[in-house]
Amino acid sequence: MTPMLEAKNLTKRYEDQTLALDRVSFSVLPGQIYAMLGGNGAGKTTTINIFLNFINPTDGEALVDGIVTHLQPLAAKTKIAFVSENVMLYPNFTAIENLEYFTKLAGKRYVKKDLESVLSRVGLQKEAFDRKLKGFSKGMRQKCGIAIAILKDAPAIILDEPTSGLDPKAGFEFMKLLMELREEQKAILMSTHDIFRAKENSDVVGIMNQGQLVMQRTQKELEGEDLEKLYVQFMAGYMEPVSA
Amino acid sequence: MFKIILLKEMRETIGSAKFVFSFSVCTVLILLAFYVGARNYQVNRAQYEASVRENLRQMEGLTDWGQVESQIFLPPTPLAALISGLSNDVGRSIKVEAVGELISENSRYGEDPIYAVFRFLDLEFVFQVVLSLFAILLAYNAVNGEKEQGTLKLTFANAVPKDRYILAKLSGVFASVVVPMLLPILIGCGILVIMDIPMNGSEWLRLAMIVVAGLLFFMVFLNLSIFVSAKTERSSYSFLILLIAWIFFVLIVPRTSILLAGRAIDVPSIDEIHAQKFRNQSQLWTEDMQKIDAFVPPSNDPEKAFAAFNTFMNTTRETRETKIAEFNQRLNEDRNNRQAVQREWAFGIARFSPATSLSLAVMSLAGTSHAIAQQFLDQARSYQQSFAQFIKSKNNGETGGHMVRVKIGGAPQEKAKPINPYEIPAFHFQSMSVGEYITPALTDIGLLIGFNLMFFAGAVWAFSKFDVR
Repeated sequence: MTPMLEAKNLTKRYEDQTLALDRVSFSVLPGQIYAMLGGNGAGKTTTINIFLNFINPTDGEALVDGIVTHLQPLAAKTKIAFVSENVMLYPNFTAIENLEYFTKLAGKRYVKKDLESVLSRVGLQKEAFDRKLKGFSKGMRQKCGIAIAILKDAPAIILDEPTSGLDPKAGFEFMKLLMELREEQKAILMSTHDIFRAKENSDVVGIMNQGQLVMQRTQKELEGEDLEKLYVQFMAGYMEPVSA
Repeated sequence: MFKIILLKEMRETIGSAKFVFSFSVCTVLILLAFYVGARNYQVNRAQYEASVRENLRQMEGLTDWGQVESQIFLPPTPLAALISGLSNDVGRSIKVEAVGELISENSRYGEDPIYAVFRFLDLEFVFQVVLSLFAILLAYNAVNGEKEQGTLKLTFANAVPKDRYILAKLSGVFASVVVPMLLPILIGCGILVIMDIPMNGSEWLRLAMIVVAGLLFFMVFLNLSIFVSAKTERSSYSFLILLIAWIFFVLIVPRTSILLAGRAIDVPSIDEIHAQKFRNQSQLWTEDMQKIDAFVPPSNDPEKAFAAFNTFMNTTRETRETKIAEFNQRLNEDRNNRQAVQREWAFGIARFSPATSLSLAVMSLAGTSHAIAQQFLDQARSYQQSFAQFIKSKNNGETGGHMVRVKIGGAPQEKAKPINPYEIPAFHFQSMSVGEYITPALTDIGLLIGFNLMFFAGAVWAFSKFDVR
């Protein structure tokens, strides 16, 4: 099967010569959840930023459905939906108005009923649909963010630490939703600090440390393994990076 | 894509508290500018007509055409009430004699200095000061504010071209301000109609162009705000930079240009000119006094002697006045030429500021630029010639001028008949053609378009390098 998201020797060196990514390679197939684990500054967000063409790689390439993101950024972006760590929307617009705007921006047209149906699906209370965003909690905003991603109906979804700061129930519901999207054959790349959920819900887990992908295991390979122990070991640099 | 962002921008702008505040203030000020302008026009028109009547009434008792001196007045125009420009600085009346130098006097600010202190609330003030500040208020955080808010990242996770985004932002804010702002302007036009302000086609067209120039100026500050917003990371920085830019463009550049032009081109002061004129007059007068002392009557017959003396005095006076006029004209021309060069320098430097371009454009369109003083004087000179012809025709070929004619002997004098001042040719100030008003404004309107393109290009360039993360 052709990968929907693919990193090929992705390297990023910033102007101050900091090596943020060092020849990172991985791929995410349709219907697969890829969890990227790693501490702060490990390179997870840099990888995501390259996929979204917020920055260009110094070397290597990121591909979305075979499209090189830094060569054809607009074409690549039509195939990605993005949910950030802290979804921020227009505070003076209602949830529905925000959804309407961002889905139109993604080139989709929905009637209000469809928008309400997706907001219900992500678990937002009905009375919040027509409320302005400025009163929303982080969890409610994350739900709106995932609703926007669902409505974009892109084949790939990239999530940057989407459950950080969410209460356990909200986190659980969020992951449940991701599982549903996986069933819809979406390729999902997610950076997270949540080792437990990464092991429980992901098809592939990658651990990044100091810009390198130091470990990559499938769900099957992780069976019987203590992921937390592995994480600590790889983060401490006990083991060698995964070869490209 | 463009339309989606534009509509979002309009909705966001119109829904913000700062828009409600800006719109309310602008609406009140625009309506006030129209109403106060219309009232001022009515008052000025009534004063003008009263002055013309009074001028004729004052001449009613005279019996000698040689003693007649008329006064001509600059009529008020409706557009001058909306864009006062220099109309209140120039003298609104000129005393016209058959010969002699013409000096305009009685400026509005000279008569009522309080107006000079605070100036008038007119459309130029609303556009130049109020709307430009509101442009900054509405767009200082157009780009970096979205980044601070966190929405820029989500926006650019979609296939949004950056140049189109900037264009849509600009158009959105512009449309959301301009469309509602046209309402008070249209109501203002209605006020002019209701208050019977006689506006002809040329004036309506020029008023429309004044509004266009004002909106172009507003757009310059919108483009500048978006440019600065895309060049800075924090909205607080961009706000500060834009306030400094506003002070620089609106207050510092125009004033500095006058200082620099003054240093570059030396123009003699009006006091120096007056002193030179006075010296010349004194010298000519002394020479004439010597000639008068040396006058020897050609005949001992008193009547012939007086006739010869009268002729001699008239010839001497006319020669002296011609010399004075020529000398004064030379001085005035030299000063005017130097002033023109200095003005070109000042305008050239000041045009680095869009605020100057706006002022010059709207003043030219309203007919209240520096040209109005010269135009009034030129027409007064032309009128002076026909006035002199008229006086000569009524005064035995003499232009008058306070000489006393003494007649000895002859038949008993009949009671002198009063003159009819209504025979004096009336002065009609000729307005320029539409083209003559518009042509000088085109340079400055072109400059405003240039400023817009420059700042817009800057905004697109800055945003192309802007880190949306």
